[in-house]
Amino acid sequence: MRLKRRHESGAIIPTASMADIAFLLIVFFMVTITFEKDKTQVALPKTELRYEVPKEAAYISVTDQGQIRVTTGEEMSTPVDPEDVVTFAANLVASFPGRPVVLKADDQVAYRNVDKVIDSLKQAKVETIYLLSEQKTVDAAGDGGGGG
Amino acid sequence: MTLLATAAGEDSRVKIRVNRPSDEIPTSSMADIAFLLIVYFMVTTTFAATRGLDFNLPKDDDTPPIVEKEDAVLIDIQPDGSLIVDRKLMALNEILEYLEPKLKNNPKKPVIIKPQPEAPYGMMVAVFDVLRQGKDTLKLEKDINVSLPTQREIESFWF
Repeated sequence: MRLKRRHESGAIIPTASMADIAFLLIVFFMVTITFEKDKTQVALPKTELRYEVPKEAAYISVTDQGQIRVTTGEEMSTPVDPEDVVTFAANLVASFPGRPVVLKADDQVAYRNVDKVIDSLKQAKVETIYLLSEQKTVDAAGDGGGGG
Repeated sequence: MTLLATAAGEDSRVKIRVNRPSDEIPTSSMADIAFLLIVYFMVTTTFAATRGLDFNLPKDDDTPPIVEKEDAVLIDIQPDGSLIVDRKLMALNEILEYLEPKLKNNPKKPVIIKPQPEAPYGMMVAVFDVLRQGKDTLKLEKDINVSLPTQREIESFWF
Protein backbone atom coordinates (compact mmCIF):
# COMPACT_ATOMS: atom_id res chain seq x y z
CA MET A 1 0.00 0.00 0.00
CA ARG A 2 1.25 3.36 -0.85
CA LEU A 3 1.22 5.84 1.91
CA LYS A 4 0.65 9.43 1.28
CA ARG A 5 3.74 11.49 1.63
CA ARG A 6 3.61 13.40 4.84
CA HIS A 7 4.21 17.05 4.80
CA GLU A 8 7.70 17.52 6.15
CA SER A 9 8.77 20.69 7.81
CA GLY A 10 11.95 21.98 6.29
CA ALA A 11 15.10 21.98 8.41
CA ILE A 12 15.32 25.71 8.87
CA ILE A 13 17.27 27.36 11.64
CA PRO A 14 15.44 30.46 12.73
CA THR A 15 18.00 33.15 12.11
CA ALA A 16 15.77 36.17 12.16
CA SER A 17 16.71 37.10 15.73
CA MET A 18 20.41 36.47 15.13
CA ALA A 19 20.97 40.00 13.92
CA ASP A 20 19.16 41.39 16.95
CA ILE A 21 21.38 39.45 19.33
CA ALA A 22 24.45 40.42 17.38
CA PHE A 23 23.59 44.11 17.42
CA LEU A 24 22.90 43.91 21.13
CA LEU A 25 26.42 42.58 21.63
CA ILE A 26 27.80 45.27 19.36
CA VAL A 27 26.17 47.97 21.44
CA PHE A 28 27.60 46.41 24.59
CA PHE A 29 31.12 46.35 23.23
CA MET A 30 30.82 49.84 21.81
CA VAL A 31 29.75 51.21 25.17
CA THR A 32 32.42 49.41 27.16
CA ILE A 33 35.25 50.06 24.74
CA THR A 34 37.95 52.43 25.82
CA PHE A 35 40.76 52.96 23.43
CA GLU A 36 43.62 52.67 25.83
CA LYS A 37 46.08 55.45 25.40
CA ASP A 38 48.75 53.70 27.37
CA LYS A 39 49.40 50.07 26.64
CA THR A 40 52.34 49.61 28.99
CA GLN A 41 52.17 46.25 30.69
CA VAL A 42 52.73 46.57 34.41
CA ALA A 43 51.96 44.30 37.34
CA LEU A 44 49.71 46.58 39.34
CA PRO A 45 49.61 46.50 43.12
CA LYS A 46 46.53 44.96 44.71
CA THR A 47 44.17 46.90 46.95
CA GLU A 48 40.85 46.18 48.59
CA LEU A 49 39.45 49.63 47.97
CA ARG A 50 39.13 50.65 44.35
CA TYR A 51 37.40 53.64 42.90
CA GLU A 52 36.48 54.29 39.32
CA VAL A 53 39.02 56.43 37.52
CA PRO A 54 37.51 59.23 35.42
CA LYS A 55 37.64 58.61 31.69
CA GLU A 56 39.26 61.97 31.03
CA ALA A 57 42.56 61.48 32.73
CA ALA A 58 46.24 61.71 32.05
CA TYR A 59 48.29 58.57 32.51
CA ILE A 60 51.80 58.11 33.79
CA SER A 61 53.12 54.58 33.77
CA VAL A 62 56.23 53.43 35.58
CA THR A 63 57.58 50.00 34.69
CA ASP A 64 59.53 47.75 37.03
CA GLN A 65 62.68 49.04 35.35
CA GLY A 66 61.70 52.61 36.20
CA GLN A 67 60.91 53.59 32.63
CA ILE A 68 58.26 56.27 32.42
CA ARG A 69 55.63 56.82 29.75
CA VAL A 70 53.17 59.69 29.81
CA THR A 71 50.00 60.72 28.00
CA THR A 72 47.60 63.59 28.58
CA GLY A 73 44.78 61.26 27.60
CA GLU A 74 44.53 62.82 24.14
CA GLU A 75 47.27 60.93 22.34
CA MET A 76 49.19 57.69 22.64
CA SER A 77 51.71 57.57 25.45
CA THR A 78 55.32 58.53 24.84
CA PRO A 79 58.40 57.65 26.85
CA VAL A 80 59.99 60.48 28.83
CA ASP A 81 62.93 60.95 31.12
CA PRO A 82 62.13 61.15 34.84
CA GLU A 83 63.35 64.76 34.81
CA ASP A 84 60.86 65.72 32.11
CA VAL A 85 57.78 64.57 34.01
CA VAL A 86 57.52 67.95 35.68
CA THR A 87 57.43 69.68 32.29
CA PHE A 88 54.77 67.28 31.12
CA ALA A 89 52.75 67.86 34.29
CA ALA A 90 53.04 71.64 34.01
CA ASN A 91 51.85 71.51 30.39
CA LEU A 92 49.03 69.24 31.41
CA VAL A 93 47.82 71.57 34.15
CA ALA A 94 48.04 74.51 31.75
CA SER A 95 46.16 72.77 28.94
CA PHE A 96 43.64 70.75 30.95
CA PRO A 97 43.14 72.31 34.38
CA GLY A 98 41.73 69.93 36.94
CA ARG A 99 42.41 66.80 34.93
CA PRO A 100 43.43 63.97 37.26
CA VAL A 101 46.59 61.99 36.71
CA VAL A 102 46.47 58.23 36.89
CA LEU A 103 49.64 56.67 38.15
CA LYS A 104 50.13 53.22 36.72
CA ALA A 105 53.22 51.98 38.50
CA ASP A 106 54.56 48.48 38.85
CA ASP A 107 54.08 46.69 42.14
CA GLN A 108 57.77 45.99 42.60
CA VAL A 109 59.31 49.21 41.31
CA ALA A 110 61.62 50.96 43.75
CA TYR A 111 59.73 53.75 45.46
CA ARG A 112 62.22 56.45 44.54
CA ASN A 113 61.01 56.26 40.91
CA VAL A 114 57.43 56.86 42.01
CA ASP A 115 58.55 59.45 44.53
CA LYS A 116 60.13 61.49 41.77
CA VAL A 117 56.93 61.36 39.72
CA ILE A 118 54.71 62.35 42.65
CA ASP A 119 57.10 65.15 43.49
CA SER A 120 56.89 66.42 39.92
CA LEU A 121 53.10 66.31 40.06
CA LYS A 122 53.09 68.19 43.35
CA GLN A 123 55.35 70.84 41.89
CA ALA A 124 53.09 71.21 38.88
CA LYS A 125 50.11 71.55 41.26
CA VAL A 126 48.17 68.60 39.95
CA GLU A 127 45.09 68.28 42.13
CA THR A 128 44.28 64.58 42.23
CA ILE A 129 46.20 61.47 41.41
CA TYR A 130 44.87 57.94 41.18
CA LEU A 131 47.02 54.99 42.10
CA LEU A 132 45.87 52.33 39.67
CA SER A 133 45.40 48.94 41.28
CA GLU A 134 43.90 45.52 40.90
CA GLN A 135 41.33 43.97 43.15
CA LYS A 136 42.72 42.24 46.18
CA THR A 137 40.61 39.42 47.45
CA VAL A 138 39.76 39.45 51.12
CA ASP A 139 41.41 36.06 51.64
CA ALA A 140 44.71 37.40 50.40
CA ALA A 141 44.47 40.28 52.86
CA GLY A 142 45.40 38.13 55.84
CA ASP A 143 48.68 36.75 54.57
CA GLY A 144 49.32 39.58 52.13
CA GLY A 145 50.36 41.89 54.88
CA GLY A 146 54.09 41.66 54.69
CA GLY A 147 56.30 42.73 57.46
CA GLY A 148 58.37 40.47 59.62
CA MET B 1 -5.01 33.63 -20.32
CA THR B 2 -7.54 30.98 -21.24
CA LEU B 3 -6.24 28.77 -18.46
CA LEU B 4 -6.67 31.54 -16.00
CA ALA B 5 -10.20 32.08 -17.15
CA THR B 6 -11.14 28.43 -16.80
CA ALA B 7 -9.40 28.17 -13.50
CA ALA B 8 -11.29 31.02 -12.06
CA GLY B 9 -14.54 29.90 -13.55
CA GLU B 10 -14.56 26.10 -13.05
CA ASP B 11 -11.97 24.73 -10.64
CA SER B 12 -10.80 26.73 -7.67
CA ARG B 13 -8.09 24.16 -6.80
CA VAL B 14 -5.99 24.93 -9.77
CA LYS B 15 -3.33 27.38 -8.78
CA ILE B 16 -1.36 29.55 -11.03
CA ARG B 17 2.09 30.53 -10.06
CA VAL B 18 3.20 33.96 -10.99
CA ASN B 19 6.84 34.84 -10.48
CA ARG B 20 6.77 38.07 -8.59
CA PRO B 21 9.77 39.79 -7.00
CA SER B 22 9.77 39.21 -3.25
CA ASP B 23 8.75 42.18 -1.15
CA GLU B 24 10.87 41.06 1.81
CA ILE B 25 13.99 42.88 2.84
CA PRO B 26 16.95 40.52 2.51
CA THR B 27 18.18 40.33 6.08
CA SER B 28 20.15 37.10 5.91
CA SER B 29 23.48 38.94 5.61
CA MET B 30 22.62 41.28 8.46
CA ALA B 31 23.84 38.81 11.06
CA ASP B 32 27.09 38.33 9.19
CA ILE B 33 27.75 42.05 9.18
CA ALA B 34 26.79 42.33 12.83
CA PHE B 35 29.08 39.49 13.89
CA LEU B 36 31.90 41.00 11.92
CA LEU B 37 31.48 44.19 13.93
CA ILE B 38 31.30 42.19 17.16
CA VAL B 39 34.57 40.47 16.38
CA TYR B 40 36.14 43.84 15.67
CA PHE B 41 34.99 45.33 18.96
CA MET B 42 35.92 42.21 20.90
CA VAL B 43 39.44 42.27 19.53
CA THR B 44 39.98 45.97 20.11
CA THR B 45 38.32 46.12 23.51
CA THR B 46 40.45 45.83 26.58
CA PHE B 47 38.86 45.51 29.92
CA ALA B 48 41.41 47.89 31.26
CA ALA B 49 42.06 48.14 34.94
CA THR B 50 40.45 51.52 35.32
CA ARG B 51 40.10 51.52 39.05
CA GLY B 52 42.40 52.60 41.78
CA LEU B 53 42.87 54.67 44.88
CA ASP B 54 42.47 58.39 44.61
CA PHE B 55 44.81 60.67 46.44
CA ASN B 56 44.35 64.40 46.72
CA LEU B 57 47.54 66.36 46.56
CA PRO B 58 47.94 69.51 48.65
CA LYS B 59 46.12 72.42 47.05
CA ASP B 60 48.98 74.83 47.25
CA ASP B 61 52.60 73.81 47.39
CA ASP B 62 53.72 77.16 48.80
CA THR B 63 52.13 76.50 52.16
CA PRO B 64 52.62 72.83 52.89
CA PRO B 65 50.59 71.52 55.81
CA ILE B 66 52.79 71.90 58.81
CA VAL B 67 53.01 68.47 60.35
CA GLU B 68 54.79 68.28 63.64
CA LYS B 69 57.04 65.31 63.47
CA GLU B 70 56.38 64.38 67.06
CA ASP B 71 52.61 64.54 66.73
CA ALA B 72 52.35 62.32 63.73
CA VAL B 73 52.48 58.59 63.40
CA LEU B 74 55.34 57.70 61.13
CA ILE B 75 55.07 54.60 59.00
CA ASP B 76 58.47 53.80 57.63
CA ILE B 77 58.54 51.28 54.80
CA GLN B 78 61.79 49.38 54.61
CA PRO B 79 63.45 48.22 51.38
CA ASP B 80 62.42 44.63 52.14
CA GLY B 81 58.79 45.72 52.47
CA SER B 82 58.58 45.51 56.25
CA LEU B 83 56.94 48.30 58.21
CA ILE B 84 58.32 50.25 61.09
CA VAL B 85 55.58 52.22 62.80
CA ASP B 86 56.88 54.63 65.40
CA ARG B 87 60.11 52.67 65.66
CA LYS B 88 58.28 49.36 66.17
CA LEU B 89 58.20 46.57 63.61
CA MET B 90 54.63 45.91 62.66
CA ALA B 91 52.62 43.81 60.23
CA LEU B 92 50.23 45.43 57.79
CA ASN B 93 47.11 44.23 59.60
CA GLU B 94 48.33 45.56 62.96
CA ILE B 95 48.52 49.19 61.89
CA LEU B 96 44.86 50.06 62.43
CA GLU B 97 44.86 48.33 65.80
CA TYR B 98 47.82 50.47 66.80
CA LEU B 99 46.25 53.65 65.46
CA GLU B 100 42.81 53.17 67.00
CA PRO B 101 43.42 54.66 70.47
CA LYS B 102 45.44 57.50 68.99
CA LEU B 103 42.75 58.37 66.46
CA LYS B 104 39.94 58.11 69.00
CA ASN B 105 41.91 60.58 71.06
CA ASN B 106 42.69 62.92 68.19
CA PRO B 107 40.81 62.27 64.94
CA LYS B 108 43.06 64.72 63.11
CA LYS B 109 46.22 62.88 64.01
CA PRO B 110 48.39 62.87 60.92
CA VAL B 111 49.80 59.63 59.63
CA ILE B 112 52.90 59.96 57.54
CA ILE B 113 53.86 57.28 55.05
CA LYS B 114 57.55 57.44 54.42
CA PRO B 115 58.79 54.73 52.11
CA GLN B 116 62.51 54.26 51.81
CA PRO B 117 63.81 54.99 48.30
CA GLU B 118 64.36 51.30 47.63
CA ALA B 119 61.09 50.11 49.16
CA PRO B 120 58.65 48.45 46.77
CA TYR B 121 55.90 50.76 45.52
CA GLY B 122 53.30 48.04 46.12
CA MET B 123 53.89 48.18 49.85
CA MET B 124 53.17 51.91 49.93
CA VAL B 125 49.91 51.28 48.10
CA ALA B 126 49.06 48.45 50.52
CA VAL B 127 49.61 50.72 53.53
CA PHE B 128 47.61 53.49 51.90
CA ASP B 129 44.81 51.03 51.18
CA VAL B 130 44.69 49.96 54.83
CA LEU B 131 44.64 53.56 56.04
CA ARG B 132 41.85 54.45 53.64
CA GLN B 133 39.79 51.59 55.07
CA GLY B 134 40.44 52.88 58.57
CA LYS B 135 37.42 55.17 58.53
CA ASP B 136 35.04 52.24 58.10
CA THR B 137 36.95 49.67 60.09
CA LEU B 138 37.43 51.85 63.16
CA LYS B 139 34.10 53.67 62.64
CA LEU B 140 35.73 57.07 62.60
CA GLU B 141 33.91 60.23 61.67
CA LYS B 142 36.41 61.27 59.06
CA ASP B 143 39.14 59.81 56.93
CA ILE B 144 42.54 59.31 58.46
CA ASN B 145 44.77 62.26 57.71
CA VAL B 146 47.37 60.58 55.55
CA SER B 147 50.29 62.47 54.16
CA LEU B 148 52.86 61.18 51.76
CA PRO B 149 55.80 63.56 51.73
CA THR B 150 58.21 63.22 48.87
CA GLN B 151 61.93 62.90 49.39
CA ARG B 152 62.43 66.53 48.40
CA GLU B 153 59.89 67.72 50.95
CA ILE B 154 61.42 65.60 53.67
CA GLU B 155 64.82 67.05 52.93
CA SER B 156 63.64 70.66 52.77
CA PHE B 157 61.26 70.74 55.72
CA TRP B 158 62.50 68.20 58.19
CA PHE B 159 66.19 68.54 58.24
